[in-house]
Parts: sequence; structure tokens; C-alpha cells
Amino acid sequence: MQPERTALAWQRTVLGVVVGALLLAGAGLRSGSTVTVCAAVAVGVLALVPAVLRPPTGGLPGHGRLYSWSFLVRVASLVVVLAVVGAVWALGRALGAA
Amino acid sequence: MAPDEPGAGEPADTRRPRSVYGVGSEPDARFSLANERTALAWVRTGLGLVAGGVALTSFATFADMPGVLDVVAGVACLVGAGFAGYALVSWRRNERALRLRRRLPAPSGLPVLVAGVVVLALLLAGYAVGSASGP
Repeated sequence: MQPERTALAWQRTVLGVVVGALLLAGAGLRSGSTVTVCAAVAVGVLALVPAVLRPPTGGLPGHGRLYSWSFLVRVASLVVVLAVVGAVWALGRALGAA
Repeated sequence: MAPDEPGAGEPADTRRPRSVYGVGSEPDARFSLANERTALAWVRTGLGLVAGGVALTSFATFADMPGVLDVVAGVACLVGAGFAGYALVSWRRNERALRLRRRLPAPSGLPVLVAGVVVLALLLAGYAVGSASGP
């Protein structure tokens, strides 16, 4: 059951990144910010495509060794990119309003 | 045999990062999987903060609200990015401790998260009360 729970955790995380990217893209569309929309769509695609092509199964490979680091770095980087785009957009609006 | 050396007869471990896989011995896979899920939970926590910040800015755009909410949203996004980075640091520390058969380090990000959420909630509550009681 442990590999199954890990696979589900991966799928929840990827789904979260895609939903977050869609949220940001929708907000960017409404405010007419093309850069925000493009960046958000790119993050969504980069999260979704590898997950569809090679879905995380959470299972151990034949030699019994886990390879977590590169996948963790990838998903954390996508969240950081999403956060930076969102922060720049929000703070840009705040500075524009000031 | 020293704890930093692989067991006899095992193939060389070429996994990255070397600061983790270059030390100790392979722990029970269940512990490594649990560590991976914990890191993913931290990533999702960061993602939740980012989504909350984006939703707040989106709402401020829709309702034509002042810039203070945008500042709060921007800070939430940046803190979310920080937690995504913390997920990697935490995974690395825990995996290293598991491999070296040491005690797991304390989750130092947890008090920061709780304090941050409380401060954010107080800021937003103060802003809401101030707006309601204003002219």
C-alpha cells in the first residue's frame, strides 16, 4: 500500500500544480496580462505532459532503489515559478495602484 | 565496515544528490516512501499558499479593491515558494538521517508555517474590520 499512497500523493501534487496554473492563467486573462497567461500555461504543460507520458506509479524499480530527487526538484521548481509569476503580478498591481 | 561505504556485492550507487546517497546504507523502502510523501505534502502546502495568493489578487481585481490585498497576495505567493524550497531541504535532511540510522531532525518549517498563517489571518481580519468600520 505504501507505493500506492506515494503514487496518489504524486498525482495530487501534479493535479494541484495544473489547477494552480489554470487559476493563474484565468486571472491573467481577466486582467489582460499576456505574460502571466503564457507563463502559467507553460507551467501547466510542463507539469502535465511528463505526468501523462510517464505517470508516477510510486513503485520500486527492479533493483529496489528509489529515484525521488529529480522528480521532487522538478515539481518544486514548477511551484516556485508559479509563485514568482503570481507574486510579480500581485506586487506589480500593488505598485500600480500606489 | 564504515557507515559511509556501500555493502559488499552491491552495485555502485550513482543516484543524486551525492550528499544523501553517498553516505550510510539503504533504509527500509517504506521509510523512504514516507519521506517522499512528506516532501510532497510540503510542496502542496506551498502550492496552497500560492493558489490562495492568486485567488486573493484575482478577487481584488474583480472587486476593484485597494493595493494592500495585492501586497498580502504577493507575500503569500513568495512564502509558498519558500515552502516548496523547504520541501527539498527537508527531504534531503530526513533521507540522510534515515541512511545514517540517526534520529530524524525536528520539522523546523512547521512553527514558521503556523506563525505565518496566524499573521496572515490577523492581517486580513484587521483589514476586514477596518474596512467595515471605516466611512
